[in-house]
Amino acid sequence: MSAVIVEPARNNASAVILAGGKSSRMGRSKALLPFDGEPLIVHIVRALKSMFADAVVVAAREQDLPPLPATVVRDEVPYQGPVGGIYYGLRAAGGEFSFATSCDVAFINLPLISYLISHIVEYDVVVPYWQERFQPLHAVYRRSVLPLLKGQLERGELRPIFLYDKVRTRKVSEEEIRRFDPEGLSFLNMNTPGDYEDALKRWEENRPPTCTVELFGAARLLAKTKEVSLSLPQEATLSHVLSALAEQVPVLVGRVINRDRGSLVSGYTCNINGLDFVRAPSARIHSGDKIFILSADAGG
Amino acid sequence: MDGFHGRLLYIDLSTGQSSWRELEEARLRAFLGGIGLGTSLLYEFAPPGVDPFAPANPLIFTSAPLVGTGLTTTAKFAVVTKSPLTGFIADSLSSSHFALELKRLGLDALIITGQAPSTVYIHVHDQKVEIRQAEQLRGKSPGETEALIRAQLNSSAVRVAAIGQAGENRVRFATISNEGRHAGRGGVGAVMGSKNLKAIAVCGGRETQVADSKGVEAIADSLRRRSLGSLTDKYRKIGTVANLAVFNRLGTLPTRNFQQSTFDHAEALSGESLTEHNFSRRHGCASCTIQCERLFKALNGAEQRLEYETLFALGPLCGIKDPEVVLQAAQLCDFYGLDTISTGGTLSWAMECSEKGLLPEAQYLRFGEPTALLAAIPLIAKREGLGALLAEGSKRAAVEIGGESLHWAMHVKGLELPGYEPRSLKTMALGLAVSPRGACHNRSGAYEADFSGEVDRLRADSGRGALVVASEDFAAVLDSLIVCKFLRKCFTDFYSEGAELLSKVTGWDCSSAELKRIGERIHNLKKLFNMREGWRSEDDWLPERLLSETLPTGVAQGTGLTPNELREMLQGYYQARGWDEKGFVPHKKLKELGISL
Repeated sequence: MSAVIVEPARNNASAVILAGGKSSRMGRSKALLPFDGEPLIVHIVRALKSMFADAVVVAAREQDLPPLPATVVRDEVPYQGPVGGIYYGLRAAGGEFSFATSCDVAFINLPLISYLISHIVEYDVVVPYWQERFQPLHAVYRRSVLPLLKGQLERGELRPIFLYDKVRTRKVSEEEIRRFDPEGLSFLNMNTPGDYEDALKRWEENRPPTCTVELFGAARLLAKTKEVSLSLPQEATLSHVLSALAEQVPVLVGRVINRDRGSLVSGYTCNINGLDFVRAPSARIHSGDKIFILSADAGG
Repeated sequence: MDGFHGRLLYIDLSTGQSSWRELEEARLRAFLGGIGLGTSLLYEFAPPGVDPFAPANPLIFTSAPLVGTGLTTTAKFAVVTKSPLTGFIADSLSSSHFALELKRLGLDALIITGQAPSTVYIHVHDQKVEIRQAEQLRGKSPGETEALIRAQLNSSAVRVAAIGQAGENRVRFATISNEGRHAGRGGVGAVMGSKNLKAIAVCGGRETQVADSKGVEAIADSLRRRSLGSLTDKYRKIGTVANLAVFNRLGTLPTRNFQQSTFDHAEALSGESLTEHNFSRRHGCASCTIQCERLFKALNGAEQRLEYETLFALGPLCGIKDPEVVLQAAQLCDFYGLDTISTGGTLSWAMECSEKGLLPEAQYLRFGEPTALLAAIPLIAKREGLGALLAEGSKRAAVEIGGESLHWAMHVKGLELPGYEPRSLKTMALGLAVSPRGACHNRSGAYEADFSGEVDRLRADSGRGALVVASEDFAAVLDSLIVCKFLRKCFTDFYSEGAELLSKVTGWDCSSAELKRIGERIHNLKKLFNMREGWRSEDDWLPERLLSETLPTGVAQGTGLTPNELREMLQGYYQARGWDEKGFVPHKKLKELGISL
C-alpha cells in the first residue's frame, strides 16, 4: 500500500454501499458475516465513514441489518442488480457524486478511493479497470447520471457497463491502481464460503495498521474526547497519525496540529506508548501503538 | 541605580529598631535580586550554625531588577532564610501585588531579625516603619489577616503577606501567604512565626527607573505576544493541574506515599475532569498575561485555587480519589498556612505507618480515608495530638517513630518530595538528590530532560550531571531576575535575551556569558551556605524506598533505581559542577566565580 495521505472528506461526496444481494452461493447474508470482530457491513461502513461524511446503505426490502451510522434505503423493485442498487443509492445520497461499492469487499483502500474521487471533476464516472474487467462496484458516479440509470432499469439493462459509453467515463488503468493496491485487494469479492475464509486469512496478513491517540490537557478539552482510534497506511509515521487525527478531529488543526496536518504546533509533544517522547514527523509508528499528545511543558 | 533601589531595610524585632542600609552595586551585579540576592544576604546576616527558630536567623524578603518594569510574569518576590525543616537554605518565591508594593517601598531587600515580645505586624509605608500589636490577629488565616489589616489601615493600596496558625505554632512547613499565593516550601512561615511576626504590610510610592525605557517596552511587547501563543497553552487553558492525568499515564504520579506511580482514580482527579465539573474562574498574578491560576468550586460553595502539586499531594499521594475532598483539604491548608506538598507528604508517611501498625494511637489514618485527611490537617496546624509529631515534618517524625518508618519517609534533607516519581524520571532523581533546599522541583527543572526525549528517562547515567547543572543555573537566573518559569519556553535564546533585557533595565553591559556565570555563582553560594551549616555528602541522597523498591504498576513497571546508579549520577554531577568527588566546593571554584566569603 502506498503511503499516500488520505484527503479529508469532501462535503459533496457520499459513499453508497450495496447490501441487498441474494448471497445464494454464500448460503448466508454476506452483510452479516463476522469480520474483524464485527458484521462485515459495519466494518465497511465504519471504514468509509472515516472519509465520507454521508453514507447510504441500499438493502433488500426485508433484509436484517445491524445498527449502522448510515442512511438505509430499501430496493423499490427487488433484485435489479447493481444498476438498481447504484440508482437507489445515488438518489438517496446527499453528495454531488458518490463512491459506490458492495458489501462483500472487505479491503477498503482509502488512498485508492481518494485517487478515484480526485478524477471526477471532469467526468461523470470514474471506474477502475482491473484484470481486463471494469469494476462498477468500486467506482465513482456523478449524481447527474441518475436519469440514464433510470432509463436502463426501465429497459432492463441491468449491467452498469452500458452506462459508460453514454457519459464521460474515466477508465483507471491497472498501472494506476497498482500504485495504491498492488494486489487488487479492493476488488476481492466474497461469493462463496471459500472466498470468505480466504479473505479472513488475507485480512490477518494485511491488517492495516491502527493506533490509538490519547489526548491530554488543552488538546483533550478542545477535542472533547480522551481517545481517538485511527487507521494508518503501512510504514506509517507520526505525520500520518497527525494527518488522520486532523481529519477525524478537525478542531485540533491550527491549535494543536499545524495547518500542514503533519506536525505539532510549538508547545505540544507526543509520547509513544508512555515511553518515547517524539516530535519529528518522520518518527515511525507501529500498529497498536498508543500515541499520547500532551503539553511539551511538564512544569508545575 | 536603574532597576534597583540600591538599599535594604533592616528591622530588629527584639529592639524595635530599623535602619536603611546601602546595597552596593557590585553585589547586585554579582547576584541580581530575588533568590540570588537573598542567598548573598543570608550568608552574610545568618550567624553560622544559627538555630532556624533563633531570633538571630534572618528572614529576608527580596525584590528583583525586573519587578515593576511591566514585563509579564515578573511581579514576584523571594523569601530566604535558614529552613527549620532542613537546617539548610530555604528560598521560596511568591508573587502578585505584594511584590510590586514591596519594591515601591524603595528597597531591594527587607531583612527581619530578632523576636518581638508579643505578636506584632510590621507596617512599612513611605519611609516609615511601624511595629504594631497584633494579638487580635492570632489564630486568623492569612486571608483574614490581610483583610483585617487593610481595613485597619484603611488603604486599598496596602498589600499584606501573613502567616496562619501553622506559622504561629512553628509548624516546620508553614507558609507565608499573600493574595492567596504562597511562599510555600521550607517553612519560611514558621521562621516568621518564631519572631512573633504575624504579617508584613507594605505600601510605597517609588517607581522603578529603568535605563532604556523604550528598549524595555519593546522587549516587554514581544514577550507579551509570545506569552499568548501555543507555548503557554497548558497554563492558559487548563493550568498546572493538567499534569495529573498525563503523569499517571507516564507512570510518574507518586501514589500512596510513593508505593506506586499510577493511581486507579486519576481520571476523576484529573485537571481535565476538574475543568469540566468544578471550574469556577481563571485568575493570575499582577502583571501577568498567562493567568495560570484556576479556581474551582468546592461543594461548600467556596472557590479554591488548585495547582498540580496540591492536587497530587492531597490526592493520589494520600490515596484520595474524590476531588471534593482534595478541594476541602486544600482549603484547610490555605486557611492554616501549610505547605500542601509537605502536608501531603507527611500525612502519607503517617498513613503508611498507621496501616503497618507503627502509629497505634492514630488508627483512623488510612490511605484513601477522607475524614482522616480532613481531621489531621487542623491537628498539624495547631500541634494538637498526633499533629504535634506531624508538624515536625516526615524526617523528624520518622526519627521519632523509628524502625521501618525511616524507610518510607519520603524527603531529601528533610523537605518532602514533590509530584515527580524519581524512579521513572532519572534526571529528576538526581536533581532532587542534590538540590540545596531539599527535594525540590522549582530550583531545577531536571524533569524537563526526562520529558524531552533527549535522554532515556528510565535509565541512569553519569551524563545526567551536566543536564541538572544547566537546569539549576538556569533556574537560579530566572529566580533572581525574577521571571516566572511558565514563561521560560517563550524565549528563543534565554541567556542572550535575558542579558539584553537586564542591560536595558540596569544600564549594565551584560553578556549572555555573564548571566550564565551569575546563575552558577548563585547556585554555588547556596551550596556554600549549606556546607557552612553542616552539609555532608550523605545529605545528597534519596529516600531508601526509591533505592530498594521497583515500581509495581504502569508503563514503568519494574523500574527501580539502585544506590550505585545514584552514585554514578552524583559523580557526574559533582564533576560537571567542578566540585570535589565528595560534593564539596573547592577553593579554586570560589576564585573562578569571584566569590569571597
